[in-house]
Amino acid sequence: MSLPASSSVAEQLAAFERELATAGSLRDAQAVRDRFLGRKNSVVASWMQMIASAPVDQKKLIGRYANELKQQIEARWTAYAEAAEANARPAGAVDVTLPGRVPRLGRRHPLTVVRDRMEGIFTRMGFAIVEGPEIEDEWHCFDALNMPAEHPARDMQDTLYLGAPVRGESGRPDDRRTMLRTHTSSIQIRYMQAHTPPIRIVAPGRVYRRDDLDLTHTPMFTQMEGLVVDEGISLADLKGTLLAFARDMFSERARVRFRPSFFPYTEPSAEVDISCWQCDGRGCAMCKQTGWVEIGGCGMVHPAVFEAVGIDAERYTGFAFGVGIERVAILRHQVQDIRLFFENDLRFLEQFPY
Amino acid sequence: MKLLLSWVWDFVDIDVPARAIADTMALRGFEVASVEDLGGGDAVIDFEVTANRPDCLSVIGLAREIATAYDLPMRELDALPNALASVHLGASADVAVTIEDAELCPRYAAAVADLVPVSTPAWMSTRLQASGVRPISAFVDITNYVLLELGHPMHAFDLDTLAQRQIRVRRATAGESITTLDGAARTLDPEMLVIADTARPQAVAGVMGGAASEVSATTTRIAFESAYFKPASVRRTSKRLGLKTEASSRFERGADVNAPVVALRRAIALMQQIGAGVLRGPAVDVYPAPRSPLTLHLRRDRLARVLGLRVPDADVRRILTSLRLGATDTADGWDVVVPTFRVDLLREVDLIEEVGRHYGFDKLDDAFPEMRQAAALPDARIARDQLVRRVLASTGLSEAVTFGFIERRAAEGFVAAEASESIVAVANPLSAKFDVLRPSLLPGLLDAVAHNRRHGRRDVALYEIGARFSHASGETRGVALAWTGSVAEHWSTPARMADFFDAKGAVELLCSALGVTATFEPIREPFLVPGQAARVTTGGRTIGVIGQVSPALVERAGAPRQDAVVVAELDLDAVDAARQGAVESVKPLPRYPFVVRDLSIVVSDALPAEIIRGTIQTAGHGQPAPLVAVTFFDRYQGKGVPEGSISLSLRLTFQAPDRTLTDPEVQTSFDQILTALVREHAAVQR
Ligand SMILES: [Zn+2]
Repeated sequence: MSLPASSSVAEQLAAFERELATAGSLRDAQAVRDRFLGRKNSVVASWMQMIASAPVDQKKLIGRYANELKQQIEARWTAYAEAAEANARPAGAVDVTLPGRVPRLGRRHPLTVVRDRMEGIFTRMGFAIVEGPEIEDEWHCFDALNMPAEHPARDMQDTLYLGAPVRGESGRPDDRRTMLRTHTSSIQIRYMQAHTPPIRIVAPGRVYRRDDLDLTHTPMFTQMEGLVVDEGISLADLKGTLLAFARDMFSERARVRFRPSFFPYTEPSAEVDISCWQCDGRGCAMCKQTGWVEIGGCGMVHPAVFEAVGIDAERYTGFAFGVGIERVAILRHQVQDIRLFFENDLRFLEQFPY
Repeated sequence: MKLLLSWVWDFVDIDVPARAIADTMALRGFEVASVEDLGGGDAVIDFEVTANRPDCLSVIGLAREIATAYDLPMRELDALPNALASVHLGASADVAVTIEDAELCPRYAAAVADLVPVSTPAWMSTRLQASGVRPISAFVDITNYVLLELGHPMHAFDLDTLAQRQIRVRRATAGESITTLDGAARTLDPEMLVIADTARPQAVAGVMGGAASEVSATTTRIAFESAYFKPASVRRTSKRLGLKTEASSRFERGADVNAPVVALRRAIALMQQIGAGVLRGPAVDVYPAPRSPLTLHLRRDRLARVLGLRVPDADVRRILTSLRLGATDTADGWDVVVPTFRVDLLREVDLIEEVGRHYGFDKLDDAFPEMRQAAALPDARIARDQLVRRVLASTGLSEAVTFGFIERRAAEGFVAAEASESIVAVANPLSAKFDVLRPSLLPGLLDAVAHNRRHGRRDVALYEIGARFSHASGETRGVALAWTGSVAEHWSTPARMADFFDAKGAVELLCSALGVTATFEPIREPFLVPGQAARVTTGGRTIGVIGQVSPALVERAGAPRQDAVVVAELDLDAVDAARQGAVESVKPLPRYPFVVRDLSIVVSDALPAEIIRGTIQTAGHGQPAPLVAVTFFDRYQGKGVPEGSISLSLRLTFQAPDRTLTDPEVQTSFDQILTALVREHAAVQR
């Protein structure tokens, strides 16, 4: 073995570095360290041994080289060991990328999502939310709403009747429910019988019609009807209220349009169109190129309705409106088939929020 | 109503494209189904006329609306040369008309003519065809032309077929029958009005003529009928006979009591114009109690108040006049004479609508109703249902909505046999699938589970809140849940299938959230697997049921028979009645430490845990160390425990509000409890 020369320290250091780099584990690295620093048979040890047999003039120099190599490798090793320790996988380490224990979260039905949203909007506008029975008598569903006995809306093909009357919750013998309500207007009648103006309510709920099940019809659907009664309530108030609703529900730029129409329980009556929020009224597939989307019907409460419930039709005026919750859900979420709401397919339901 | 635009030009000079007219009229109350361009500026606009406007099921009615919308002058029929024949009214030598029921038929006009065989001129058949009416023969075409133009239905009899040439307007007698023009034999009843001769009914009034007096190729002399029938009567007859015609649909909405003579004059003028016949003698007009037109008062202030819009007087007058409503100024508004063709205008507010819709709803401001008092209290059920939704969603259940009506067989599967007569039937169901109201939410929910299983979904967890119906309890609101498949699936633990205790846990969580203390006891229900069914009670009142659905019902719903479907249903109205109010005042936190003692005992496995808890609580009562909690933390059956027994581990917590408990105090209490368990249940301490 030749004696260490001035370049030898750097060479050995480089060799140490190369071997460390190939070490696959801390154990391999320790073996490398031992080959360079170990007490026996290591590079440093062999240099130390050379001091004894070296010529006198070389002894001091070799001793210096050996110490220099020892210090540098020790320093390098300390740094390496610290880094290795910092990078080592701690005992009890978990694979943080595995799925956590997630409690399952159920979803609200889309009709509830829309209903909750609408209730929130109307609550903000000072409306109280009111519910009522789904089985009704003809007086609350028809007569009181200015639909006398011979009115076409009372035809058997529209209304589902019960085989035998069911006792109402009042328990009175004359409280006999004979039909499934065809609209939630019956709730408004019950509310007006029990309260005096000012009245400001929305009445959501399921309603029933004798309709076949297809893409756009179901024999059961969900409505939300509103009613405001006070002195000086006008059609302009109705328009502003529906505009505020539309701007919250659909688009801040929404506009409202009334198309005159006919309902027995309102006069004047109108269909309510909202400017299409997809195209901002320019015309698109959703609005069938008209720029407008129909969302419901409305009008000023017919004086005959006030007379039926004992509200002074001269002193008070009022407005009423009705919106189909399925209709709003279909428009907002682009649901192609109304039957999806009642199939309860989880692949559909799970697309809606908690 | 298909409106041929060029027909409108007879009455209004309007040079506006059909599509523009359609758009305008849609904003005046006449929805448009379609516009068909005919070239040359002509078109057919198909209007959907609302039920209150029978007058607009006519060219003239719609022309009047168009003229008003565009502020154009309108030529009524009497202003058109030769549009109305001059006819003498009086007794006819050819026919005698008697109204025997003036309530159902206030007016009946007739005229007799000798027919001349001609074919319908092209201009007339073209107009009819464009309006969707098939030309048939000259005189039928004339009545159809009048029907379309004026909206008034007419009829014609072969005069020679009428016995003694008499027309008697009377009620049918019981059992009387007629063969109508469509060839059907129809049995009549005394509520129905007929046009009869001296022998028998020849027409069902306002609905359809009879075959026997039908005008045929051999007819030489006809009697035109132009009458007014009471709307409700025509409607009832049409419904009873299941026979809806152009005539009946107009009469039942309300014809114009003054139209009969005008229509007759128009028909005669057309007949003379095309040479289809020769009028014989005076026309008959039987009108025993002429009606005077209705006068309504329209107040300026009321108009402004209802619309929220001040319409200038000049516009009010212009609109009313253009609609043929005679308006006279008064101090506070207008007196308005309503023409008899406007059967929809009965009160002041109806006039407000007329002014409003033609002045334009687009001129309305966006106002907002003033709030004079705080919002009313909401229905308490709404907040409760929202709470139920949040709790159930956080246990992993998704909300379902199913129909309120179901199949009787499905309903009967979920009620006790004695309760099946309480099921509410639908009198006129759409189909047998929907023939009863649901007595429970479970059948619908089970169907929803089956739907998901059929679509490859393994784990299904659903709930529904909704109404249930029965004759015994009326309408009640409930919540139900259904669960199948694995629960809490995670890679760290083996999958566990949903069982009774998942459903029970959800019910317990819900009761806890609603502030109701529920107890559970075993029951037998035909729809639940025996031994896996419990009744839920509170304060002695039943509020619900929990269990595993019987495999037969699971299979019938369309899910695999081996699926374990656990369900629960709670009566929310009953739960409400049992709810404890909100926390009024809190209890101070305990100041002295608690002491826990565990107890393991072996008892019979038939002994319900609830009984053991009761024994412990009774025994712990009045002891030196107050017992504040009992929990079960282990239940073991198997090696080391005798057959028919179980080992139960319980944790007893003792705590006093006023002192730190001593060991002897706790030991005394513990011993008393153990003694009671040994005595009452032959428990053996382990
Ligand atoms: Zn659009």
